[in-house]
Amino acid sequence: MSITVGQAVPPLERTIRLTDMVAYAGATWDWHRLHYDPEYVAEKKLPGPIVDGQVFGALLVEQLQDWLGPKSFVHRLDFTFRNLVFAGETVRCEGTVTEADDERIVCDLRVVVVGEGTCAARTAVAPASATVLLGQADGPGAEPAR
Amino acid sequence: MSLLTDEVRALEGRTRVYTAPEPFGAAAGRYFGLAIGDDNPLYSDAEYARAQGLAGVTLPLTLVCETNQYAGLPMDHEGYPGHTWGLDIPGTRQVRGGNSYVFHRRIRPEDVVTATWRIEGVTEKVTGSGHAMLIVMSKASYTNQDGELLAENEESLIFVALEKSS
Repeated sequence: MSITVGQAVPPLERTIRLTDMVAYAGATWDWHRLHYDPEYVAEKKLPGPIVDGQVFGALLVEQLQDWLGPKSFVHRLDFTFRNLVFAGETVRCEGTVTEADDERIVCDLRVVVVGEGTCAARTAVAPASATVLLGQADGPGAEPAR
Repeated sequence: MSLLTDEVRALEGRTRVYTAPEPFGAAAGRYFGLAIGDDNPLYSDAEYARAQGLAGVTLPLTLVCETNQYAGLPMDHEGYPGHTWGLDIPGTRQVRGGNSYVFHRRIRPEDVVTATWRIEGVTEKVTGSGHAMLIVMSKASYTNQDGELLAENEESLIFVALEKSS
């Protein structure tokens, strides 16, 4: 695969339902009531249960890994939270390649909350960036498979 | 009034260490993939993973930074069973700034994770709207039972003053 600077990273779009949030809470051992309890969030005057922001890191890695295939390794990922996301909303991970050579690429990334007509209603995560090592399934700290 | 008191400055260097009571386990990674809708066979199909040069299934990269599995802590009154610094800065609200992850290799089911959290620094700034804010930078280093460095996670917590600076 030839990758060039300016190339768009194929977007990843995901609707995050309350059921998904409950599953994520279990998978990460984080049962904070903010993430699933309507009564609790109403007391806090929030419009709904809050999506755990760290899931966006996982989605960004999924986006890159799905695009680049198994012989790639996300070595660095940086992301900054901008706005809360609530149960039932749809997010889209977007990105652009900013550096590229045979061994690694760097991408600018962001996560937007999809609004009416696929317009971005607000930004959930930005700025964000990733460095991905190419041609290798594992990272620099890995020993060869036994 | 400054939020950066001597008491807050003294937080720098504070460290907490947690070692998981058991290996991470393949099911944890498979469950996480299911929860986030990531069906990459690297996390569930050992034969596929070996065909890519890996020893077997691995766990989704970010899971080690997202999970509280290693902590072995009880739930607090809001249901949270993970690491916190227990910071209470009066007159502020807490928001999360962001994370910087460095992954050194894929996490394997047999890895027994030790997470070492440290407060790297505390700084004060003023927001565009004139509110003081305190930025607490922490770093977690994740190692395994053989001392191998698996991943690092820098995290910023921000405490924003409820009233404008005078």
